[in-house]
Amino acid sequence: MSELREPAFDRAVALVLRVGAFGCFFIMLTGLIVGIFFKGRIPLDIERAGVLLMLATPVVRVIVACFLFFREKDNKYGWISLGVLVILLLGSVFGIGEH
Amino acid sequence: MVTVLLLVLGFCAGLLGALTGIGGGVLLTPILSLYFGIPIREAIGTSLVAVITTSAASSSVHLQRHTTDIRLGMTLELATSLGAAVMAYLVGYFNRSVLEGLFAAFLLYSSIMILSKGGKVKSEEDAPPPQSNGEIVIPPYEPQRYPLGLGASLIAGALSGLLGIGGGPIKVPVMFIFMNVPLMVATATSNFMIGVTAAASAMVYYRRGDIQVDVAAPLAVGVFIGSLLGARLAPRIHTKIVVYLLVGVMLYLAGHLTFHLLRGVL
Repeated sequence: MSELREPAFDRAVALVLRVGAFGCFFIMLTGLIVGIFFKGRIPLDIERAGVLLMLATPVVRVIVACFLFFREKDNKYGWISLGVLVILLLGSVFGIGEH
Repeated sequence: MVTVLLLVLGFCAGLLGALTGIGGGVLLTPILSLYFGIPIREAIGTSLVAVITTSAASSSVHLQRHTTDIRLGMTLELATSLGAAVMAYLVGYFNRSVLEGLFAAFLLYSSIMILSKGGKVKSEEDAPPPQSNGEIVIPPYEPQRYPLGLGASLIAGALSGLLGIGGGPIKVPVMFIFMNVPLMVATATSNFMIGVTAAASAMVYYRRGDIQVDVAAPLAVGVFIGSLLGARLAPRIHTKIVVYLLVGVMLYLAGHLTFHLLRGVL
């Protein structure tokens, strides 16, 4: 059966997602608050950092899972995670279409 | 002022999403495009950021309950992220009318699906009762028919990249009915996959300049607060009324999109 009960594994991945989500929340909130007092680039750059961290969170999640799978000698799933990572990174390289 | 409206919009979408299990992305894209004057492609890219936020927040909760099948999720993510990235790339070559038409059709289809199920969308209602110590018991299972699951995931991923949605309504039934995965696990795993899927397409949108950060930030902040509150309220609220409310909004948006589209064509 599929091994669902791996508390440590689940916790590590959950931690990445929680840190990412809360981190973005606070960065974006800071950007919004700064935007009340200042106009122009500064709030926008803070918000951009929040958006980029949000986009990076799932990527970090895949990297952490990949690392954990290889460490557990579960190579099949380690390679699968690596494959997902490659697709994600290729998407960010080839992401320039018509504008 | 617009920022405050976006915060409220995100809050409502996050709240509804958490209460009903129907992702907020379905509402965000058409509302951004129809009422905030954002071109639909940028509306899709921007709402993808909110979709990732929701997925990250809610799947960290599912993971702590140990109802997520990370191995199954990771395997299917090969297909969803490929579908999402390729489709997000192709969207750069689609014009506005095509995207609006597709979105209207998708809203109509989703509404009909929900109504045909009598407004029952939450899988938690079918979940086995927790044990006395609060642990949720999941019967042993072995995921089956991987090729079918991967094929469906490819389509779900492509839809996600095309419309800026999560694709749960495709993945959950496929995992549950064809792959022999318990409904609770299927829901949690689908939610888990949405983050990576949406990120695969969001990066393509971002590189193309189709994510407006000054819109995405208030939206994501609102969604985050709304979905946290919704998750707390969910057990205490009669969700059927909320679901019908949501379907009403979806049908209205489908109508408005169609009207908007026809006016542009004629």
